Amino acid sequence: MIETHALTKVYALDHGEVVVEALRGITLTVRAGELVAIVGASGSGKSTLLNILGCLDRPSSGEYRLDGRDVSRLTADQRAVLRNVCIGFVFQSFNLLPRTSARENVELPLVYGDAPPAEHRQRAEDALGAVGLADAADRLPSQLSGGQQQRVAIARALVSRPRLILADEPTGNLDTATSRDIMDLLRALNRTHGLTLVVVTHEPDIAALTDRVVMMRDGRVVADGPPGHVLGRAVEPAV
Amino acid sequence: MKLVRMTLLTAWRALRRNLTRSLLTMLGVVIGVAAVIAMVSVGQGADASVQAQIASLGTNIVMVIPGATTAGGVRSGWGGASTLTVGDAKAIEKECPSVAAVTYVKREIAQVTYGHENWATAIQGSPPSYSAVRDWPVARGRFFTQSEEDSAAKVAVLGQTLVDKLFVPGEDPLGAAIRVRAVPFRVVGVLAPKGQTTWGQDQDDVVIVPFSTAERRVLGTAFLGTVNMILVSSPSSADAVQAEGDIARLLRVRHRTPAGEEDDFTVRSMRELFAASLMASQVMTRLLAAIASISLLVGGIGIMNILLVSVTERTREIGVRLAVGAKARHILLQFLVEAIVLSTAGGILGTLLGIGAAVLIGRLAAWPILVSPPAVAIALVFSGVVGLAFGVYPARRAARLDPIVALRHE
Repeated sequence: MIETHALTKVYALDHGEVVVEALRGITLTVRAGELVAIVGASGSGKSTLLNILGCLDRPSSGEYRLDGRDVSRLTADQRAVLRNVCIGFVFQSFNLLPRTSARENVELPLVYGDAPPAEHRQRAEDALGAVGLADAADRLPSQLSGGQQQRVAIARALVSRPRLILADEPTGNLDTATSRDIMDLLRALNRTHGLTLVVVTHEPDIAALTDRVVMMRDGRVVADGPPGHVLGRAVEPAV
Repeated sequence: MKLVRMTLLTAWRALRRNLTRSLLTMLGVVIGVAAVIAMVSVGQGADASVQAQIASLGTNIVMVIPGATTAGGVRSGWGGASTLTVGDAKAIEKECPSVAAVTYVKREIAQVTYGHENWATAIQGSPPSYSAVRDWPVARGRFFTQSEEDSAAKVAVLGQTLVDKLFVPGEDPLGAAIRVRAVPFRVVGVLAPKGQTTWGQDQDDVVIVPFSTAERRVLGTAFLGTVNMILVSSPSSADAVQAEGDIARLLRVRHRTPAGEEDDFTVRSMRELFAASLMASQVMTRLLAAIASISLLVGGIGIMNILLVSVTERTREIGVRLAVGAKARHILLQFLVEAIVLSTAGGILGTLLGIGAAVLIGRLAAWPILVSPPAVAIALVFSGVVGLAFGVYPARRAARLDPIVALRHE
């Protein structure tokens, strides 16, 4: 699903006088259907990596193949199509459009895609059903709890039927119990739909709920393996 | 289709979300469009009334009057000499190609009596062509005919003023026998009221009789065949210019005026006078429109300002849209549509306000008002264009946002 080779990302600040190397050669492979957590301290480059994996950003060098296709040199519009069709995003702060119903929020990717308009409503409702919010279609984000909002956001990520979901700190704004619910939902989607899931988190508890943990430090991958291995014996692997 | 609907819907929501702000933003365009429409309506009303006057007086009419005479050192002024003849009029009709019709006038002031009433008025002898050349139809009855002209019939057509002076209200003047210098005439028609000339002369204070009858029975035969004025009509105002030159050349030849000698006639038209006043009112309309356009421009700047604020406020929304697959041009379109919706809504409100203001000004100042549909259409289109022009900059800023930066925006 995801193959990267020696990805680097360099930011030049202050007109090139300060150079920040956010990624220093990431070589990573994620197979279809995997549930992977990327962990690391802030500044370790995990968000930068996720942005590149999500085609929101381009690497400075190196190669990125998504589903076997080299996407590291695509134009902005080509990347927009890719984001629309192949990738679903889940954000820490939900990023739902305010004063817009849950259904319309979920429909948003379809508006920019090729799906026939007649199907939009049904597909949005199906996606809401998949996250257990079938009866909240007409509610506004302000009428939903944080966990419910994140579920709507997950439905939005699912609606264009991508095979890859990228989640950036999806539980960062939620309490422990709700975090657990959201992770259970993501795991269920991974298990039942065969979705490939990459979750960026700095919480070991959350990472422990995945199948594989990639630990980053200073723009490099420093550990990669089952949660138990990477996170240490203190955390038991999820069942 | 969905995208278009969604774009419009989003624009509508964004504007409704800050309804007060949207209305205040629109206000600039509202006032601008209202000002343009009110000003142009007033200006065009003035224009139209000037043009109506021109039409009633005829810019396509060329007047030829005799030159001055000098008798014992006393110069008579224009029209004093009896140098123009019926023959001249007929020659003009025959030989000048830019001429549509020709008529001629011989007139004097004389006393007209009917019953116990009498009134000094202009006795005018003209052939039947006079009615057509002056574009002056009868309101009642008929104008006299060519056969009445040929037979010097004693028939008369009265101007409205004369009817008012001689007849009691409600009395039918048609068929009445009036006397002009003691010669009895039968009234066959009453001319449509024409009002005053621009120099204040009452054109309706007149009795028109056949030219031959006037010469032989009323005005005397001392200068047989001479006329006070030849009136020439041309197909258009432009032809009238051509006709002026043609007539002058023809008459110099006919009158055998040596080269270098002054003309013994004068050719005049009202064209220049009215062209000038028409120009003045058109310049006025344009000036008013230009001033009003400035407020439209200011309105556009207001729209740009608010859209820039809106782009900043909605940066995160833009980020989300980009993340889920919106292309830069979708975002561009979104903000352009918002700008155009704002400005055209302002344009529509402004149009209503402008028409209202124009009507009110017309009532209060008793000015003629002409709300011209093209002016309304232009103002509306222009308001849309203002929205487009001033929306481009904020929309481009929105479309150029980096999705990552936009998503992180607080």
